[in-house]
Amino acid sequence: MSGRAILAATILATLAVLAATAAPASAHHVGAYVPRDNAVTTNFKQVKFSVQAKKYDVALRLFDEGPLRAEMRAQAATLPPGLEDGTRAALAAGDGPEVERSLMIFFAALARDLALEADRQLARPDATPETRVATGGKFLEAIWRYYNLVDFAVATRDNKASVAVRLAFDEAEAFVKPAAGGAAPADPAGMRVPLRRIAQALSTLIDASSTTPPSTTPRRNS
Amino acid sequence: MTEPDAPTWRVPPRWVLLVAVLSIVAAEVGGGSMARYKVELTRWAREGMLARPGVHGLVGVRDVDERILDEALVKFDAGLRLFHMHAEGMGLVIIATSMVAATVIRHAAARRAIIALLTTGGAGYPVGYLVWSALIPSHGLERAKTLAEWLIWVPFGSATIVALWCLAGTVAWSMLARRRA
Repeated sequence: MSGRAILAATILATLAVLAATAAPASAHHVGAYVPRDNAVTTNFKQVKFSVQAKKYDVALRLFDEGPLRAEMRAQAATLPPGLEDGTRAALAAGDGPEVERSLMIFFAALARDLALEADRQLARPDATPETRVATGGKFLEAIWRYYNLVDFAVATRDNKASVAVRLAFDEAEAFVKPAAGGAAPADPAGMRVPLRRIAQALSTLIDASSTTPPSTTPRRNS
Repeated sequence: MTEPDAPTWRVPPRWVLLVAVLSIVAAEVGGGSMARYKVELTRWAREGMLARPGVHGLVGVRDVDERILDEALVKFDAGLRLFHMHAEGMGLVIIATSMVAATVIRHAAARRAIIALLTTGGAGYPVGYLVWSALIPSHGLERAKTLAEWLIWVPFGSATIVALWCLAGTVAWSMLARRRA
């Protein structure tokens, strides 16, 4: 075999070795998952951006035909009375602040209900600490996904509620994170206290916001 | 006119070529099937996961469970895609590397062993992604990954890596021997 052939073989073999040894570095790479919006949060963003662009006719159509309104109907029992009709009326009237207030109440209610359900599931006596950590983490993720959408609106109207929810959320998150420095992991049942605080803060916010007269201009209370 | 010491590439054994071609064919069939039966496959995986809520940590709350199911379905789909990609690529790697081995390695037993490792490792490794995807609905994301790792990725991947290092060493050795001569 000629020198050229051996050189070609060397290059081929080296490339193959590099390719094969690079694979374990990405350790059987199985893809990264980026959480996506669900139908309700997607529709919320569509409505919100249409309202911000003052396209109330578009926002009304998106609300009428979208899953946001369907979800409001489905959750009507736990929402302040008339929230769905109020939201629709505000959209029809082109009242941006009122639309924002209604949607804030809706998502705060969704987050509150999740916090209450999380508290209930963490209280189950048959749940192991591992299950509690896993369940708690998933609930916190779901709570944040909804609350994060309206946190700015909450902070604009009731800064104390916003801070209370964030602090309680941070506290609850500490129970699902691995203990640092070899410290013993905290009892995940302890997460119930901040979860109840989240639910309480959001309930107070919903009650206060539901009694606010329509079209009241929000102002920062900090 | 021909050069006096023109390179003489040797074709690898037929069974090796057959395995490589089959691997590429499986990749193409897999890729086509995952596109053609996407809905059916997703439905099958979703039903499998819903039938085992404990395995997947489903809590019975839609807002929480949808996110879990979505992640598992994304990974299920990723496994099928990675099988398609790896089986295609490893088919070509088997052909290229076994040809180098057939040409460069003089010792018959060593040549056979390295070619066998390259072929089995190269053809087996991509199947791990298929196995991983198939196990997700019944065993959950992490358990399925662990099973695929220890049953397929580690043994077959190691076989390929070992064979490639041996091949590279042999090629280097023949270069040195040629210089000395």
